[in-house]
Order: sequence, then C-alpha cells, then structure tokens
Amino acid sequence: MILKRSTLLILLFLCQYLTAQNDTIILKGIIISDTQLNNFSDSQSVQKLNDSVIGRNAASLTSLLNYNTNIYFKENGLGMVSSPSFRGTTASQTAVVWNGININSQLNGQTDFNVLNTRDFNNISVRAGGGSVAYGSSAIGGSIHLNNDLSFGNRFNNSLRTDYGSFNTVGVNYHVVAATEDFTANAGISHNSSDNDYDYQGTNKTNENGQYYNTSLNIGIAYRLNQKNILRFYGYLFDGERHFSGTLAAPSRSKYQSTDSRNLVEWSGYYGKFTSRLKGAYLYEKYKYYENYKNDLYTNGNVKTYIARYDLTYDVSETIKLNTILDYTHNNGEGSDIIHKKRDIGSASLLMKHELTKRFKYELGVRKEITDSYESPVLFSLGINTLINRFYTIKLNASRNFRIPTYNDLYWAGSGNPELKPESSYQAELGNEFRFKGLTLSVTGYYIKMRDMLQWTPGTNGIWSPGNVGKSKSYGVESILNWNKKLGTGNVAVTGTYAYTISRKDESDKQLIYVPLHKTTASVAYSYKNASVYYRHLFNGEVFTSSDNKYSLDPYNVGSAGTEYTIKALKGIDVGVQVNNVWDEKYLAYEVRPMPGRNYTMYLNFKF
Amino acid sequence: MKLHKLILTAVAGSLLFVSCSDDDNKDVPSGAYDNGVLILNEGGFLKGNASVSFLSEAAGAEVENDIFSLVNGGGLLGDTAQDMGFNGDLAYIVLNGSNKIEVVNRYTFTGETTISTGLVNPRYIAFANGKAYVTCWGDATVATDDYVAVINLALNTVGATIPVAEGPESIVEENGKLYVAHSGGYNYGNTVSVIDASSNTVTKSITVGDVPNSLELENGNLYVLCGGVPSWGGTETAGELNVISLNNNTVTKTLDFAAATHPSNLVIEDNNIFYTIDNGVYSTPIASGSLPASPLFTTADQGVYGIYGFAVEDGLIYVADAGDYNAAGKIYIYSAAGVLQNDYVVGVIPSGFYFND
Repeated sequence: MILKRSTLLILLFLCQYLTAQNDTIILKGIIISDTQLNNFSDSQSVQKLNDSVIGRNAASLTSLLNYNTNIYFKENGLGMVSSPSFRGTTASQTAVVWNGININSQLNGQTDFNVLNTRDFNNISVRAGGGSVAYGSSAIGGSIHLNNDLSFGNRFNNSLRTDYGSFNTVGVNYHVVAATEDFTANAGISHNSSDNDYDYQGTNKTNENGQYYNTSLNIGIAYRLNQKNILRFYGYLFDGERHFSGTLAAPSRSKYQSTDSRNLVEWSGYYGKFTSRLKGAYLYEKYKYYENYKNDLYTNGNVKTYIARYDLTYDVSETIKLNTILDYTHNNGEGSDIIHKKRDIGSASLLMKHELTKRFKYELGVRKEITDSYESPVLFSLGINTLINRFYTIKLNASRNFRIPTYNDLYWAGSGNPELKPESSYQAELGNEFRFKGLTLSVTGYYIKMRDMLQWTPGTNGIWSPGNVGKSKSYGVESILNWNKKLGTGNVAVTGTYAYTISRKDESDKQLIYVPLHKTTASVAYSYKNASVYYRHLFNGEVFTSSDNKYSLDPYNVGSAGTEYTIKALKGIDVGVQVNNVWDEKYLAYEVRPMPGRNYTMYLNFKF
Repeated sequence: MKLHKLILTAVAGSLLFVSCSDDDNKDVPSGAYDNGVLILNEGGFLKGNASVSFLSEAAGAEVENDIFSLVNGGGLLGDTAQDMGFNGDLAYIVLNGSNKIEVVNRYTFTGETTISTGLVNPRYIAFANGKAYVTCWGDATVATDDYVAVINLALNTVGATIPVAEGPESIVEENGKLYVAHSGGYNYGNTVSVIDASSNTVTKSITVGDVPNSLELENGNLYVLCGGVPSWGGTETAGELNVISLNNNTVTKTLDFAAATHPSNLVIEDNNIFYTIDNGVYSTPIASGSLPASPLFTTADQGVYGIYGFAVEDGLIYVADAGDYNAAGKIYIYSAAGVLQNDYVVGVIPSGFYFND
C-alpha cells in the first residue's frame, strides 16, 4: 500500500546528505534525544532525510526509504506488511530507533515499515552498519532513526496537509509548533486511509481486501527549568487497521489491527563537562489478527515494555568525550499463542570519542547485557574517521552486534525454544567520503559475518521450532551521491544510491532469498522561484524467492514524477501533483502480489 | 584507492551475473500424462506456487514439472494444492488457499473448468452418485461452520452443503456412503462421519482415536489412522489405528501406538499396512494384528526431515520430501525392501502421489 511533497529552499538540500553533525546541540537550540546518533557515528555512514524529502514521499516509511536509500524492501503488496533488508540482513536485523529508544516489536523482533507515518517525524536518519553498542538488539544491518527534534524560540506555526490520490487514498496531517524561549510543544495528528483496490495489470483481477486506515498522534514537549535543566516528553500513538489483501492465486478475508504507544520522559542536565540524561519510557504494542473480518474471532498478542535509562556524557577535554549508558528494560508479554512471560534485561555501555588531531578521530564502545532469559555476548565497536584532505574522508568501523531472541522465538506455545542464544555478528566496513563543491559521494564496502542465526526449521516430527542454526555472511558495496548546483536563479539537486549485495549462508553459493544483488535509486529536482519539478527512479534487481535460487521475481524499474508550486498566501501554501509508477511498470515486490500501475496523488499544504 | 578497484570488480562482476541469469528455456509440455504418477506439489501458503509434476512409468523417464502451467498457457494453478481426485477422464485439483477446484483432463492436463464458488477452505475430495464431495473447513477459526460441499458434476457447481463436525479432512467412498475423518482443523477431532450420498445427510458419527489423519478401505473394513494430539496441543496423546467394520459402522479393533508416537500416511497395498512415523516407514501384514516395533527402513540417509507425502504402488514405495518448505522438494522411490531406486526434484512442498493409469 503507498507514495508523495515540498518547498523552495528545501530543494537545495533535497534528499539525503551525509552528515556528521557536531554535537553542540544545545547551543544551536535544537534538542534531540538520540545523542549517540550525533556523538558516536563519525565512523559510519549516516544518511539524513529531511522534511522536504519526507514530504515528497508517501506517508509510509517503506516508500520513503525504498526510493531514497540503499535499503531493500519486501512489501507484500502496497501498504501490506513490509520488511527491509539492509546490507543483506533481515528485518529483525534492522533496528528502528524512535528518539533514541529501540522500538522493534518484542513479539517478532521487527518493525513493519508500513505502520509508521513518516509525517510524524521531522528528522529521519539512516545509520548504516552495526550499532548494538548504542542501540541494542537488531542494529546489525543498520538502524533507522525517527526523531522529533525540538527547539526553543518564540513562534507559533501550524500546517495542515491533505493528500488525495488514486484508489481513494486520503491523507490528512495537522502539525503545530508553539514555543517560547523556555518552552516548546510540537504536536501532530495524521490520518491515512485507502481503498487500495488497484487493478492487477494484465489480469482481470484487482487488489481485493487491501483497504486500510490508520491514525497517529505525536507529541513532543520540552521545558527549560533553568539554564542547566531541561524536561522533555515525547509521545507517539499509532492505531491502525489493515485488511490483508489477497494474491493472484488466493482470495483473502483477513484483517489486522495494531496499536502502538510509545512514551518517553527525559530529564537532561548540563553541568559543565557533564551532561546527564535520565530517561523513562513506556512502550505498549498490541495486535489482533482476524482470519475473517466478518466475524469477531481473532488471535492476539501484546507486550508492555518499561525502560529506565541513565545516560551520562563527560567531556574529559576539548577532544575527548566519554558516554556511559545504563539501561534496565522490563518486558511483560502475553497473547493467544505465546506463554505469558516477563523478562528483565539490564545493560551497560561505555562509549568514547577522541579527536586526536583535527583530522583524525576514533571511537570506541563496549556493551554487556545481563538477563536470565538468554546468554548475551560482549559487544564492541571501534571506529576511525580521518580527513585525508579537504575533499576526502576515510571512515573505518568494526563491531560486534547482536539480535536477541523474540517472545515468539522463546515462548511460542508448544514450539518456542527457551534455550536460544542471541544471534550475533562480527562486521567491518570501510567508508570513503568525497566532497567537492556541491557534490558529496560516499562509497562504503562492508563485510558481515553472522553466527547462531535464529531460524525456525521443521524437525523430524514435523514440528517447526526455532534454533540457533547456521552461519551466514553478507558483503557488498553501498554508495550514496548528492549533488546540488545553482543554475541562474534556479537550483538543481541530484541524488543517487547504489547497493551491490551478496548474502549467503556459509557453505552455500546461493543468494539468500529476498536480497537483490543490485538496487539503485536516483532523483533529480529542479526548482525555480516558487516552483519545482522532480523525478525519482528505483531499479530493483532480481530477487530469489526460494533458498535453492530456483524461483525468483523479475527486476523492475519504477519511476515517479511530481511538481510543486508554493502560493504566497498565509505563511505559504504548497500545491503538489505526483504521478507514481510513471512508466506503468508491471512488477511484483513479493510473490503473487502485484504492485499498482500508474497512479496519481495531489496535495495541498497550508502553513499558517 | 583499493575500494575503487573493488567497485569496478563489483560492477563488472555484477554484469557477469546478470548475463548469466537468463531465463531457462521453457519446457515444452508433453501433454501425455497417462501411465505414470502425478505428483501434487502443495506450494507455500499464500505463495501461489502450487504445481503438478508427472513421472512416467516408462524406463528412464525424467520427471516433468509444472505441467498445469505449461499446458495451460503459463497460468497459475493456485495456492496450496491439498488434494486431487480422479473421476472418469477428469482430475479435480483442490486448492485450499485459493478456495477453488481446478478441473483438468487427467491425461492431457488441459483445463476444463474452475469451480470457485461455495468452497471455503476446501481440503479433500471423493466421488459418489455422480457428485463430488469436498470436505471444507469454512473459517478455520470458526468451529461450527465446517461442511462437506456436494458438487453437481454436470454443472460444476456446489449444489448442496452438509454441515459436519469441525475439521473434516480425508474422505473416502464405498457403496454410496462417504466416510469423513475429522482431524479437527485448528482443534483436535476424534470422529469419523458417515454420509449417505442418496440423502446427503450424516447418518452416523463414529468415535475413533485423536486426530484421524488417513483412511483406507479394504475388505469391507475402514482403517483409520489417528496421529494423536501433538506435544504442543495441550495433553499429548499417542496414535491409534482403528478398524471399522462397514457392516455396522463400529470400531471392531484398535491398535495403540507407544506414548508420544504420532503416525501418519496410512496406505494398504497387497495385504500390507504401511504408515510413517517421523522419517521411518513401517509395514505389517494386515493379518498380523499387531504393530511392528521397528521400521521397514528410514529416510535418514536421504536427509528427509519428516515424510510429507507417501504412497505404495506396484511394489514401490514413494516418499515426498518437502525439504525446507521453500525450495523445490524431492521425491524418493524405494523398492519394497526399502532400497532407494531413484530420486527426482519436483515442485515446492510435494505432498501427494496420484497414479494415473
């Protein structure tokens, strides 16, 4: 299910640029919660997707990341369950981090990228590579960071955006920022819905039972008690219902309801060389699955998660920064198919950054978890960032990361395996970053070695159960290009990504399923005065759908084009039109589940 | 920069990969599927990759895969092929996930028609009185909507439905009576229903062991193999073999399996009873009146996890191996003594053998 938006100035920075933001965040007046993303990511690639890119894509995270990053998505039809493969890994080896808190489901270890509304966040970053030391479980392929950056300073801004598109797809998003010098409040509410009944090209079938709707509520509040202390609250509530669509071969009557609530309070203190952050979080996830939406029988599951975290940063000197994180997580999960269990996990991390010279810095990190639910390895990371010259930076990073067994793995009634270990990885990467005038290019080669892979396999008795079976490796090259150029009074922005990925089980020459060898995205935007036009393109290589590589899905090329005009009224009114799948490509991102042909979206964004 | 070289290598290498990955030449269907065995490949649930393979009994024959699609212009067979039944020149392929039955000529596999109305979670098929009887679960989560659909074979439509107990599975016909094993669907059943085809009503429910999974008719008796409740199903129970006399529809004999033993795949051929437990194939003469302590042979050497499909015909034993349930599966053919004769790669999740003579 998915696509869409933007403004003039923003076009300058259209899409991602590689950023190594400095960490003097408080001075800039922007307060963010995910400090490790800023402070301890210098030796890795961080791709930041700003407001304008977010606005120009559909509300789902799948669409945003699929068209703008190296991450591949296995999407079960438009808007349906969507799981990423980042550097050849799986959805449960990709962490989703919301304002610094890992929000992957405790039940299945993943985040469904179609149940997050991108418009609820003003900063979405993609951090490639290992990050378990800072972010815990699943940060193996990489992590996706959804942030609500807050800032002080008197203002009162509103925006109301409405989208309407093919298949009766409707989106409404209202956002307000009210701030003084010591108080800021951001709030947003989004509602999306679609009949999602597109035609399956070349057949007489349509996408039946694919309708969905969802509502999300998002709040960020910060209050400056005094020069040294800030209190904050972040809240995100998502509630949605999706029917699971049929396929080319099977009808469907099932539907899925999910509710996710994420709440975080934080007290930050800035005491000279020390920055102290005390956080408390409460996460609640719940689903109900109906085999037949016409009756009220369902299966369900829910997990409540409580997190207490103390994060202390010590600036030893101008050039040395230390950061300790103590975390205590309590999960309480139950459901129709899992045994009711509570689990407690404690962890301690130590991170350090040292800017040895102006041109050379290194980062170190170590983390250990303690829990009675499984044996946890010591995790580490080492990184180097060295500026060779004005144009060229080399980044080197090596780390050990892990993914903990999920509730389903451990406690599935009758099949769960409480003896599971976390799966873990050793990985290394070498990044090259070139900057020349308006051009930025990064080329990163990486290697990931996975062991104790968590997999469900059938036993001789026909019972499927999870085990730590096998090893695998992924390696490849990722590159990200950005180029901005002023042309007279206009601006041109070009971005591109390319990923080459090999991912195999040890002792096998077969590519793992649903990992394309090649994936490329490209976009071009031109803006002139109040108007802009843009085109973006996605090439996805062949993916195998079976472990013997005997069955596969064809490669596909999907392009979309759009234009936007900003009317000078109120604080600006953006009017936009987009044509998605411009070439009317017939393609599947998952077996027997066609994606829509050419379709349209238009939007209005009032700022006042 | 070494990395530049790496990229060049990567790009060059990838071009090579692309040039090597041309489609296989599409096979030309032989269109002649008499005198051999049809292998039903269930395919993955919601993957729409059910298929049928054919292995001729001619010496040295190779297996022909995906014959429905090849014969019928590349069309998809459907989702989760559960069963196939023969009636006259026609084969009826029951597609559980697609809620339909594909009707084809059993010797050419040319599509005749599709029955797609009135079937909710269809499972198995039998024929009586010029009609087809198809066990249907209805919604799997609803215990009370299960039925047997009666298909008028002249019209190829569901003409009547017979409500039955939860989870009707295997169905066989004898003398105008249909016998339906209630494995229980999402729960665990322990009955066999008797349906009179002249009135389309359930005339009797016979209590058997837990989870009856396969039925065989022999010499006026109905043999019912019950798998027992599996370990994850609450209170585990062992398998049973029940013998029902068709004269009075009562259980006349029960053989009990050892605790935590869950047999399946009952076949009676040439006065021998065959069944499987995990990767073991067991055999005993009908006359012996007891269960063998050890298997005739196991498929361990072939690395078969559990035996997913099983048949015995003309002195040969056929085993279907679903492998990892994702890649193409295999079938193994053994001699009556359990010596491997041949193996073939077939479609995804091979589950049944249907001898087409």
